[in-house]
Amino acid sequence: MTAVTASSSKKQSLMMSRRAGRMQRLGQILGQSFLFSITSLSAFAVLFIFFFITRDAIPFFMPEAGAFNWENLRQFFSETAWYPSARPGQFGALSLFYGSAMVTLGAILVAVPLGISAAVCLSDVLAFNLRQIVKPVIEILAAIPSVAYGFFALVVFAPLLQNAGGTVLAFGFWIVALPILGIACIIAGQTFAARFPENRRTVAALTATAILGVLSLVLLWLIGGKLSGMSISSGTNAFNVSIILGIMALPTVVSVSEDALQAVGRELREGSYALGATRAETIIKTVMPAAISGILAAVILGVMRAVGETMVVWMASGNAAQIPSPFYNFMEPVRTLTATIAGDMGEADHVTGSERYHVLFALALCLLAFSFIMNLVSEAIVRRSRKKLGKE
Amino acid sequence: MGFFSILVMAAALILILYPIISRGLSAYIFRATSEHRRVQFTEFGIGSAQEIERETAEVTAARQPVFDMIVAHEKDLKAELQEAVDQVHALAAAEGGFLQRSLERRLKRAHADASVEEYLTVLTDVRKSLEGQFDRERFTDVITLITERKQRVEVETKKLTEMKHALRDLLGPLPGDRITELLRSHYGQTRWDRCLHYQDKFLYRYEWDYSNPELSGLKMRTPRVEDFRGTDLEPAFAYVRDNLEAMMQPRLTLYWQFLTTDSRDAHFFGGIWPEVLGTFYLTIGAMLFAIPIGVIAAIYLCEYARPTKTVSLLRSCISTLAGVPSIVFGLFGLAFFLNTISVSESKSVLAGSLTLALMILPTVIRASEEAILAVPFTYKEAALGLGAGRWRTVLTVILPAALPGILTGIVISMGRAAGETAPIIFTAAVSVGLALSPLQTLNSPTPALPWNIYNLCTEHEAVDEIRHVQFGMVFTLVALVLMLNIIAIALRARISRKLRG
Repeated sequence: MTAVTASSSKKQSLMMSRRAGRMQRLGQILGQSFLFSITSLSAFAVLFIFFFITRDAIPFFMPEAGAFNWENLRQFFSETAWYPSARPGQFGALSLFYGSAMVTLGAILVAVPLGISAAVCLSDVLAFNLRQIVKPVIEILAAIPSVAYGFFALVVFAPLLQNAGGTVLAFGFWIVALPILGIACIIAGQTFAARFPENRRTVAALTATAILGVLSLVLLWLIGGKLSGMSISSGTNAFNVSIILGIMALPTVVSVSEDALQAVGRELREGSYALGATRAETIIKTVMPAAISGILAAVILGVMRAVGETMVVWMASGNAAQIPSPFYNFMEPVRTLTATIAGDMGEADHVTGSERYHVLFALALCLLAFSFIMNLVSEAIVRRSRKKLGKE
Repeated sequence: MGFFSILVMAAALILILYPIISRGLSAYIFRATSEHRRVQFTEFGIGSAQEIERETAEVTAARQPVFDMIVAHEKDLKAELQEAVDQVHALAAAEGGFLQRSLERRLKRAHADASVEEYLTVLTDVRKSLEGQFDRERFTDVITLITERKQRVEVETKKLTEMKHALRDLLGPLPGDRITELLRSHYGQTRWDRCLHYQDKFLYRYEWDYSNPELSGLKMRTPRVEDFRGTDLEPAFAYVRDNLEAMMQPRLTLYWQFLTTDSRDAHFFGGIWPEVLGTFYLTIGAMLFAIPIGVIAAIYLCEYARPTKTVSLLRSCISTLAGVPSIVFGLFGLAFFLNTISVSESKSVLAGSLTLALMILPTVIRASEEAILAVPFTYKEAALGLGAGRWRTVLTVILPAALPGILTGIVISMGRAAGETAPIIFTAAVSVGLALSPLQTLNSPTPALPWNIYNLCTEHEAVDEIRHVQFGMVFTLVALVLMLNIIAIALRARISRKLRG
């Protein structure tokens, strides 16, 4: 490309006077530097964000210049008492970190299995026409504003959980567990049947699958019965938020991992088919390993989406700054970093410069640092995978 | 498994959209009562005066029997008290002297037009003064009579007050009520679904039963008519049950003014225009800043930038910007645009737009970049080959060819800017406000759909009363965003058709 333009400018300078040529070159440089400066605005924006968030976060750890407040730092990261309006304020953010981690984990548990299997389906299983129908569904899921998700979680889902929690849980469990167990039964039946001589193999596979199927149905029924007996005291809890965040993170996970799967390319797939692998074997043993880093990047992006989400968690997580007991209890309300910033800033705004104003910036700095690191990691992964695929 | 997860996604989409659309539409299309039309006429000047007058007359006529029953019932109660008053009169006449004068003076307030409550205060007063006499034994009979009647009537009045309260919630102020400042007390229920809800609350009393300590309280439902067995008021309940339609005159209405009128009394009445306009301003403002910067950056990155260290740093910066959580953008907007360079005195649409622009910048850049890269290389070669300069090539060949793709990206990021809440909380949004003129956007905050959805469903004083407004807002926002996305999808479909030939 440079060669083309260089030759064209040479040709032009042949036709024009020297001065005009110089003017033109000057214009080009000016134009380019103008473009460059506009482009670097976004870079400046990132720098500014880091600078200003840090600038307002520092006074929390360093009330006077040079005097680092270790006590504040220790309290911030290790205590769970979050009473910013108390005098003196208590800023133990551990429960907030825990809340964020908890709902993110929940969201990932929802989004990753669903998202990756949907991506596989989109890239390797579905016909082109069907894909054209499914894609808009994903796009619309991604387009719905977060406050609408939050509204749904608060006004529709939370009362449902509160009034009919057990039934919802049991139903959800059935929906998730039934296909997984079904596939597991079939695979286990096939493996079991492989030990039998050729002529009895089909019968053996069928019986084994049937027995396993009945067993797992009984298991499902037992667990479902137990779940439906549960009652949930508050509909606004970590579980609710996890489900909704999972749905919100789904489009990201699906589209990024689908890109990764597509990038694997025809050659690998055809090679695998040529060696006699079935489609399932090709997907699981060839395509997925080749795309694993891209899928990892998708998961990271999903994590970032879940961590950074504000409105849903603010509206539907219950906003109780506590570590649930026991710590894995998803049915208790939690409070996350983002919700705390959004919720407390309204009051802290009037006292700009106070400790409770700065502590919110400290929370934001943690979020920012986390997303920055995650971003670097995912970029590195994508770069590595590109290199790898390029070599293969 | 894959099919299953796609099914789950589609199901989730339907599950989420269904209540939003169905209940959201009911903010626009619903059975509006005569109260709704009255509100529309008095508050917004919509509708014809004669029509409203005629309807009000009809509705009042239909409601009159209930009001009459209340008056009759109150008369009964008063008659019971009147007996006690008569006794006191007799006593006063018998006693004479100072006691007579003082009692008569007190009794004067219990005239024919006085309310039951006034009667009760008079009797309390009288009893006190009788009890204060040093030889009160002589009055024991009268005091007992007063006490007994008062107790009975007080119980009845309490029930009556409760019932009138429920009726007021349903129909609006009763005849003879003092009108308060609060606008919501001027009108009855404007929607038929709310009418049915309040009819139920009128017909039944709901109480929580905590007698069983093992349960967390049971909701008990008793027909209110039980309270008024054998009184003049008894038929009122059957009347309200059977004739509510005549009393409210519900009519299926397309209430498109919901979109174009502002709200009265904290969204109890009226529409969502200030919010819609605020969202519109914020989105347009954000696009004004983001489009030029984003498209220019994309042109530079695609056409001019050589793969140097600086450029790859630029690219990582852009992807970092894309990963910054939205709430952090909000804090940054507060700390930088408002507290540091003070683009405006307080929160303002301008500050909000700038923050939103920053947030959607990476999306715009990426989409434009993709669109520019998708332009076939032959186009560029042809243009350069014809002797066009680089600038000219970009402006006249590449940009027009990439325009639909760029537009798609822009439309999608518009949807994102319209729906995003966190960045505008601290920079632009207020919960109550009027529609702004374009000039005011430079220095005043605005209500905006996403923020007011949050605000109405968490911080409003009567969350359950205005569910339809909340759903209407969510529906409007989602419809707006989805419309933008459908435009984008259609645009892209056209491009891909064109590219495939």
